[in-house]
Amino acid sequence: MAERTLERRPPLTADAPAPLTPRARQPSPFPDGAARHWIISSIVWLTVVDLFGLVLATEFVTPEAFGGISFLSFSRVRPSHVNGVILAWLSMMYFGALFYMLPRLVGTRGMWSERLGIACAWAWNLMYLLGVIGLLTGHSQGREYGEFIWPIDIALLVIWSLNIINILATVAVRTIRPIYVSVWFFIASPLWLAADYAIGNVIWHPGHIWGAPSGALNSSLSDAILNWWYAHNLFGLWLTPMLLALTYYIVPRITNTPLYSYTLSLISFWGMAFFYTGVGDHHILQSPTPAWLKTIAEVSSWMLLVPVFAFTINILGTMKGNWDKFFTNLPLRFTMTAFFFYFLVNIQGAFEAIQPFNKLTHFTNFVVAHAHLALLGAFTILGMGVIDYMVAQIWAKPLWSRSLSEWMYWLVTVGFTGFFSVLTLAGFQQGFSWQDGIPEVNVLPQLHAYYIARGIFGAMIVLSGIIQIVNIGMTIFTNTAERRRRETIVVAEAIAPPPVAS
Amino acid sequence: MAGGDQPREPQRQVPSGWVRHPHERMLITPLMAGVGGLIAFFVVVAIVVWLPIHTFDPPPSADWAPLGDSALAGRKLFAQNGCYVCHSGYSRPQDVREALYFLYPKVSQPGDFYGSDQSPNLLGTERTGPDLSQESGWHPDDWQRAHFYDPRFVDPMSLMPDMKSLFSDKQVNQVVDYVEQRSGKSGLLRYAGQLYAKHIVLGNQGFPQPYTGFQGAHKPIVQAKPDSQLTPPKGQLPEAPNLSQIDRSYWLSGDPLPVTAANLDRGKEVFLQRCVGCHGLKGDGKGPAATFMSPPPADFTSKDDACCGGDTGPGDFYYRILRGWPGTAMENFGERLSVDDIWRVVLFIKTIPNGTLHTDRLPQPSDYIVWQPSKELIAWTKSHQKLTDNADFVKKVATDPFVQEAMRLFPGLAPGDSFLINDRKTRLSIKDAAAGIRALYLDMLNRAWQDAARRGEKLPSAAQKDILPTVPGQQ
Repeated sequence: MAERTLERRPPLTADAPAPLTPRARQPSPFPDGAARHWIISSIVWLTVVDLFGLVLATEFVTPEAFGGISFLSFSRVRPSHVNGVILAWLSMMYFGALFYMLPRLVGTRGMWSERLGIACAWAWNLMYLLGVIGLLTGHSQGREYGEFIWPIDIALLVIWSLNIINILATVAVRTIRPIYVSVWFFIASPLWLAADYAIGNVIWHPGHIWGAPSGALNSSLSDAILNWWYAHNLFGLWLTPMLLALTYYIVPRITNTPLYSYTLSLISFWGMAFFYTGVGDHHILQSPTPAWLKTIAEVSSWMLLVPVFAFTINILGTMKGNWDKFFTNLPLRFTMTAFFFYFLVNIQGAFEAIQPFNKLTHFTNFVVAHAHLALLGAFTILGMGVIDYMVAQIWAKPLWSRSLSEWMYWLVTVGFTGFFSVLTLAGFQQGFSWQDGIPEVNVLPQLHAYYIARGIFGAMIVLSGIIQIVNIGMTIFTNTAERRRRETIVVAEAIAPPPVAS
Repeated sequence: MAGGDQPREPQRQVPSGWVRHPHERMLITPLMAGVGGLIAFFVVVAIVVWLPIHTFDPPPSADWAPLGDSALAGRKLFAQNGCYVCHSGYSRPQDVREALYFLYPKVSQPGDFYGSDQSPNLLGTERTGPDLSQESGWHPDDWQRAHFYDPRFVDPMSLMPDMKSLFSDKQVNQVVDYVEQRSGKSGLLRYAGQLYAKHIVLGNQGFPQPYTGFQGAHKPIVQAKPDSQLTPPKGQLPEAPNLSQIDRSYWLSGDPLPVTAANLDRGKEVFLQRCVGCHGLKGDGKGPAATFMSPPPADFTSKDDACCGGDTGPGDFYYRILRGWPGTAMENFGERLSVDDIWRVVLFIKTIPNGTLHTDRLPQPSDYIVWQPSKELIAWTKSHQKLTDNADFVKKVATDPFVQEAMRLFPGLAPGDSFLINDRKTRLSIKDAAAGIRALYLDMLNRAWQDAARRGEKLPSAAQKDILPTVPGQQ
């Protein structure tokens, strides 16, 4: 039997000219201009609002840290942080994802008008920038979550409406007639938020347009009812439905598995529409507002578990048999981590919304932990993963560094978990102390250690955002396809059998 | 799934017209998602927003009072600078404690939020600091100004940001007006009491009015008039007006705790945690907040004259820490310190003249200066603590809120007591105090009412204005 010999081949070298792989050479069929602008803006804002958060965390430890700088005063930075997370980071990330996913789902070459989407991205950036400058210089309406002054509210609604037009027009010119679950939310959720924002900010009542009182009802308690109805629906009718929409896209797409059940997705859509809209009053359960409204809020908060479980079962069903990808595919790991935190936040929220538990935890850091579980644990972690996924697809090349993505994942996951845990414990500490009649100021020294830990965990979260900027930036500005090819060659060299001497 | 991110196969040929999606049926049309979604939304909005806003219109509570113009400007600053992120604006049933010195004396009622000067709502969502709905009148204006300038000046444990870079002198006065007038009539009554007590204390001790705005940060500590102008009427103890602010049962009481190193040590710890902002790290009354205040904080460094005259006994100290000293910037610590800790601070204060505040010094029982009441004090006590005097002194009899407030401020005055304070001009008695508090209260209420009317706000009938305030949780 003749001895098998290996075919002679030229040695692999890393210096060889780079033939582009067919896939990398092919330009993306989608222009994605709008998506690119919204996504890149969002990751910059993520770090900005993260840094606002770090300023706040520092001031909890040493209130004099930025003494004398008026625009870094806690009470001005906190509204900037809150509004920035919702409107600058998460909303821009969601619109970026929407502009990416919608054409792919309805079979169009890009959005109805990519240029309109790009113009809106710039306008939105300018809008938030002006709004946050206003907040940091004391121009605020003084209503929680509705702090932006009236001209900013109007600008926001105009841009938002242009985005809605773009979305609806894209759906109208679609080539695939049935619309997928995600598209239901892409149509309904921006409409809900526009209505929510316009009503909640009482935009027909400008008042003092550069500050308070403005955009508020004349009757204080009615204003509070409206305020908290509005504030909760920022999450309930925009941030959460969009989380569902993105998850409904990402999980089947990455696992290459059809959605488990369309009937369950119907329940999650209509359940969200009916039950989320009525929960707002659970923010003021012990305030002197009508008891029947509190009852509706408590019942709705529990009914909300119906669409939540429908969504949960649906995603877990789709993931069945695909869990290996959870460990190998980073965007999927981000998505499923966010999914887990999303489930947790709903269970937690349902308990938080009933009187006995609310009596203990309201006004404490428990609520802050809960808010971060939703906005950081669920929405932000999802957004970071989805952005990693989309950037690789849009620019049609691999990410610059897989290990930086891993660092990003572990920093934000561990950072957030620690952040959430210490604030939850701090919340119980406060709640039980107040229940015993210990006044707020006496509890502060007990919270000091928690605040220090929160600052450290928060710094990890900031770092993960910065890592994402670096990773995405290097992906865009360097030839990562070539880099990946060289790495592959090095690996291939290492594992290739030695050439046989002739 | 429809569409791919990167079509790996050649593009699927899409025939003209619609194609059927490979994996799904049309469950919801775009019209159903958009219009149907909005219908669902507005149905719920009608129930949880439109309905309550149009049916929930509580009448003003008996305690409600409008805000004056200056206070309203302060409210605007409060809102614009985000103060509500740490201070809630309503007290809940579980917050309220029945005691003389608790800061949440009543549960907020729907009618407390009547009036468009309460817009936007400031209910808040978190309490890093205390709820402020019942704050009016617990602290005098000079304390508030020092606190706004730098909260650590008066409360070293506070996490509140300093407001010296946010507010001008005028603005801080407006914010102080808001804080002092936001709690309705019961708050105005407390505030009127503070103002009246300040009037008495300044007259008695010969100090000018405190600096306004943040001026205190740049000025020297206020100076008293010379003692020659502050002589009590003949036969009257110089300490008598001060003692009138302390319940009689404390006038001669000693410290119930033994003078041990452990007690003194704990006293020093509490003193360093809570007291040094005003009374200073040396206990000399020259802490950073001192220049804001009139009268300035007490000096504890003199051996024979520990504080406020040699006649200040442990009971006096205890009472002033427990309940505060209305008219001065001394706030009450009854809610924040345990009874034992207050007595330990009292023990420790009596060792300060021996240098026990030095950083490397542990107070020893031998440092403790035993207090001896003077002959004059004992004589005064005997002449003014007769059983007959006290027999009339049944607090529950008083139903007039102004008398109640006068008795809260001057618990050491018997109904029959009446004397001139040390400026020899101002008369001090329960009756005079009640009349003074009533005048201040009505003046503030009337001016706020006029301001609100001039602003064109919805006001209840004048009968609401005439409902007398209550003194919740204080009697």
